[in-house]
Amino acid sequence: EWNMATTETQLMLSVGLIEKDVNGDTLWVWCYPSVSAELRQLLLRKCCLTQDGRDFHTFVFGQFSRTWYYITTLEVQEPTALNKVTHFSIAVTAKDFNPEKYAALSRILCRMYVKHGSPVKMMEAYITVLTKGVCQNDENGLFLIKDYDVRKAYLAGSIKDVVSQFGMETIILYTALILKKRIVVHHPRIEALLEFTRVLPALAWHRKDWSVLHPYVHLTAAELDDLKKCPGYIAGFVDPEVSNRLELFDVFVSLPDSVITVSQGAKDAMAMGKLHKDVAQVIVQSAEDAERSDSQVIKDISIKTKEILTNLCALADACEDSKLTLEVLKQHHFPPATENFLFHLAAAEQLLRI
Amino acid sequence: MEEVDKILIHALRQVGTEVGEDVDRLNQFTSELIVEAVVRCIRVIDPALGEGLPTSLPPGMSARFRVGMSLAQACQKTYSNIRILYHTTSLLLFLAVSWVPLNCRLPLHCETQVSSHSFHVRPLSSPHCTNGQKYLKEVKDYQRDFLLPVTAQLPSQTSMVSSILEQHTADLSSAQEWDTEWKSQGLLSRLTPQEYRSRKLTRLRKRIEEQLRSAAAPSPESVFGVPRSASELSDLLHTFRGSTPSDLILTKGSHFTHTQKFTFTQVSASGRVDGALQNGFSANCALLPQEAAAVPSPVHTGRQSEGDAQLRQQEELAALQQQFQQLCSDVDLMVVFDELKQREMENTKNEEKTQVKKKTIDLLPDADNNLQKLQSQVEASANRVVNLASQWEKHRAPLIEEHRRLKEICSTKDLESSTKLSEINSLHDKICAATAEAKKKEESYKQLVTELESLPQDVSRSAYTQRILEIVGNIKKQKEEITKILSDTKELQKEINSLTGKLDRTFAVTDELVFKDAKKDESVRKSYKYLAALHENCNQLIQTIEDTGTILREIRDLEEQIETENCNKTVTNLERIMDDYKAIRQENSALAAKVREG
Repeated sequence: EWNMATTETQLMLSVGLIEKDVNGDTLWVWCYPSVSAELRQLLLRKCCLTQDGRDFHTFVFGQFSRTWYYITTLEVQEPTALNKVTHFSIAVTAKDFNPEKYAALSRILCRMYVKHGSPVKMMEAYITVLTKGVCQNDENGLFLIKDYDVRKAYLAGSIKDVVSQFGMETIILYTALILKKRIVVHHPRIEALLEFTRVLPALAWHRKDWSVLHPYVHLTAAELDDLKKCPGYIAGFVDPEVSNRLELFDVFVSLPDSVITVSQGAKDAMAMGKLHKDVAQVIVQSAEDAERSDSQVIKDISIKTKEILTNLCALADACEDSKLTLEVLKQHHFPPATENFLFHLAAAEQLLRI
Repeated sequence: MEEVDKILIHALRQVGTEVGEDVDRLNQFTSELIVEAVVRCIRVIDPALGEGLPTSLPPGMSARFRVGMSLAQACQKTYSNIRILYHTTSLLLFLAVSWVPLNCRLPLHCETQVSSHSFHVRPLSSPHCTNGQKYLKEVKDYQRDFLLPVTAQLPSQTSMVSSILEQHTADLSSAQEWDTEWKSQGLLSRLTPQEYRSRKLTRLRKRIEEQLRSAAAPSPESVFGVPRSASELSDLLHTFRGSTPSDLILTKGSHFTHTQKFTFTQVSASGRVDGALQNGFSANCALLPQEAAAVPSPVHTGRQSEGDAQLRQQEELAALQQQFQQLCSDVDLMVVFDELKQREMENTKNEEKTQVKKKTIDLLPDADNNLQKLQSQVEASANRVVNLASQWEKHRAPLIEEHRRLKEICSTKDLESSTKLSEINSLHDKICAATAEAKKKEESYKQLVTELESLPQDVSRSAYTQRILEIVGNIKKQKEEITKILSDTKELQKEINSLTGKLDRTFAVTDELVFKDAKKDESVRKSYKYLAALHENCNQLIQTIEDTGTILREIRDLEEQIETENCNKTVTNLERIMDDYKAIRQENSALAAKVREG
């Protein structure tokens, strides 16, 4: 257990403080242990305090350069120990994906900061969590790292909402994820974007890989370069301009319009056949069942995925060094769409030999 | 003015307006003609706009009003369009026209007239004198020793003046534009001119990039044929960002993406060459010629012969094949490197893990003790860090405070300066308005002075003013006298009233008294009778005097009336009327007699 605690806390990287003052300036005022200039720039950009003060977002999170960041923003209410500060944000960076955990932690840190007006007390709490995995929370209880299991984070989203919004078209998202394609999602409101995108990697549950998730990306050179380092990703944008950036995606999801578009270049790889229809049926039926919870739906989908993968592995095992080739695949005379899909899937799962 | 009218009428005739031969001044135009002329002109300028307008006025007043309004609107629209056009071409027109000595022709005639010298412009280079710019020695030397004077830089003399004019107008207009821009936006931005210029440059670059990018997005219908312009544009975009076009061929990616690229049919949306490669080596060779044909060839293909084109295509094919081989080997290399890197990373991670585990194992024998020690160490370092943080806080907080305070001062100063700026602007406006007014007043003063001088000088103004003043004085005096008389009259009236009252009372008392005694004594009775008679007679006297006064007033009034009536000359008019009446009667009777006779 002690082991788990240490490996868990080693995931936390830094904590930073951003303040907006009565002059209207938003400044990065404090951090521990240190934050690179690039990351600082990024966090200031993601923090809603730099965005013309139009919208106020209590909690946003995202990923950049393999680092997850979680930003909680608070408006300062009187009476307070803080002088000339109107709003502030606490940005926690970590290696792992766990929005609930870091939201809870940064809430505690926020309250501490407001109460004492100095980041020192806040840092004490942070270090306590870092070293012991536990700290006092606001309601005289305890914040325990181990209460926030990563699986809970993975399953915290609602796959049923996704299916209810897109119905049978959810299969497009499933296919794109399975084949490690690039999905771009757009919604003008960041909270909706985060809620939607965080659950999508669950469609490929057998991988449990949330590192493909970049839920909050701006159209800047640095962020896009970082994004392009991944072969496949789920990227969320609030900027509607992204729909014109055809080089960024294979699948484009416009959340407010509930429209999924497959880009021209990816249409071949994403061609759908009977196999897809089957999977789509499984997804929709399971999601529509009121008795089944979200995690059960995900489980159903993963069972079906496993089925497909097992079959594929069986096909591959029949070949030398367990890698499938196109010729072997063709010998089975699958319908063309299914053959195409299996070919690409094998490539994605590294079961293919050229 | 006559000339202009003639020219205008000629132009209108050309447009199709039926202007009569005898009409040669604009003020001879009837309203119908004006309407027809305007409508035809609008039709020439903007056919779409002029289609809906009738050339003749309808009969009804409301219809005429409507037509008039639509005409006015059309005129306004074309005027604003023409004004824009005019501003941009006015300079060129002037220059073009100035080649035609002396005559001023309408734009309609410009083509026929610009025959003697056409307006050719050649680029010139002349040393610029910009303040504060450092000059390279080489540039200075070049300008001093090698650069020909402007007159010698051009191949023909005919283009010299035009080139010089062009350059000067370009310089002038750019200076003017910079001036206006600086005055309006530059001052407001509170930047130095250099900063402002550099910001503008980056802004414009960004915009160009965006435009190019949106233009570079190719049509989805193409299979191989990603248009040359698109790939050129994406090249251009890359140069903006600094990366080389070769990145198009080989992007960074994992082992998987490279296999993907080389095995799958993929027409990528950004015009990469790899998009033309198909899976299977065998297919490649068959496809490459096709791909080579589809691959963008240089811009001037159209001009070269068939054989040349084929030759070049073959060369391209060979080059592409070579490239492909190279790419394959590169890919293999990359794959190997990737794996190597990954393994190295894993290695380091595992090494770290083993280190930690080793240390833990070393500490295991005396586990509890060591655990305690470790925990205390951790606590100690945590406390140290917190201590450092609080020390840092002591420095940081005042600095941030200072920063904010200075920012506040800065923003208040900003506010002050912007209010001052707006004050300055308003003062400036006031000055302009005041100077305009002063000019106007001066003009009107001049006008009035000339008018004054032109007025007849015989009657002096001072005589008039003296008389006026005299009359005013007289009137004042008269007014005073009148008020005096009025007050005197009032006084008299008051006296009369009081005396009458006194009289009545006295009489009443006396009357009573005497009457009382009158019953007893005969002499008293007599005296009473005399008293009554006296009273009566005196009353009569007073009455008569009053009547006399009234009659005198009436006489005066009537005399006044007579005077006014006399002025009316009523009598003479009446006499004349009577005479006329008599004459008419005589005529009537004469005519009647004539009628009876005839």
